[in-house]
Amino acid sequence: MGHNDPALLAAPGQAQAPHADPHESEEDIHRRIGQLTRTLHDALRELGYDRDLMDAHANLPDARDRLAYIARVTGEAAEKVLNAVDRARTVQQELSEQADSLRSRWQAVASYAASGKATTPAGKQLIDETCEFFTGVGGQADRTNAILTDIMMAQDFHDLTGQVIRRVVVLAQSLEEQLLKLLLDTTPPSLRPKLEAIELAGPVVSKAGRDDVVTDQQGVDDLLATLGF
Amino acid sequence: MNADPRFLIVDDFSTMRRIVRNLLKEIGYGNAEEAEDGVVALNMLKAGKYDFVVSDINMPNMNGFELLKNIRADESLKTIPVLMVTAEAKKEDIVLAAQGGASGYIVKPFTKATLEEKVQKIMTKLS
Repeated sequence: MGHNDPALLAAPGQAQAPHADPHESEEDIHRRIGQLTRTLHDALRELGYDRDLMDAHANLPDARDRLAYIARVTGEAAEKVLNAVDRARTVQQELSEQADSLRSRWQAVASYAASGKATTPAGKQLIDETCEFFTGVGGQADRTNAILTDIMMAQDFHDLTGQVIRRVVVLAQSLEEQLLKLLLDTTPPSLRPKLEAIELAGPVVSKAGRDDVVTDQQGVDDLLATLGF
Repeated sequence: MNADPRFLIVDDFSTMRRIVRNLLKEIGYGNAEEAEDGVVALNMLKAGKYDFVVSDINMPNMNGFELLKNIRADESLKTIPVLMVTAEAKKEDIVLAAQGGASGYIVKPFTKATLEEKVQKIMTKLS
């Protein structure tokens, strides 16, 4: 007996699934789907999974909110850092410009001192070192700017993580909708009035003129309430 | 090409728009504006004169591929270089961008040197 034998695959006590018939009518297929749904419904009820499904469905919006919170807070943090980088750049620019200005003036003094007029050797050394310092400030400002650029570039994490979060949110939304549909499918007919008229839809951008879709969480909650959840 | 080329940075994340804008300024291109998606970008491109577009791919309303397609299909815009800057590293996306007429493709995260190299390469081709 092979591993793919249907008799092995069927659960104990369960009737073996009928063989697929290429000539099976649409009505037969619908009936089989209905039987499968009923079997799933009974199994979920017996195992208590309907409650788990309900809990899982109820927790997904909370998970989405938390992800949205992370995206917002990290975005704000990145903006704060970028603002700080901009302010620091301005300070560096001013420092560099002031150093340039003072360097020019001190170089004039240095030229005068080099002619041996009105200065002592210690004074001349001080002038030279001051000029050297002001010359170095520009380079230091450039190095600081390079570091600020690194800090700025590191803020791209917001874009990268934000995209991942967005995809997870879409995934959670899809899962939520599928869970809701499964819940509806496994709810006894007596608890789902007019269920046949309700068709679940994906995210709806505009609900104007539509009364056949659930467009927000409140609508979902209300619908679930009518079903006894 | 204009001596002071006007850039349009398109990205749905303001952080990234700001980073690209600052980097462009650092490499000598301080004339830049921003759009948060392809629809806004296309309207801005049609309303004003831009010399260079730096665009993300994953955006709401109109993504980067659609924006690129619209730019290349518009007689008055089709020659504007479009540099794609995106987190999408899939080969099929890169091929799609190239086939759609993108002038360059940068994968995030990127460095200032990479952006500078790609922009200068495109600028050199244009001149």
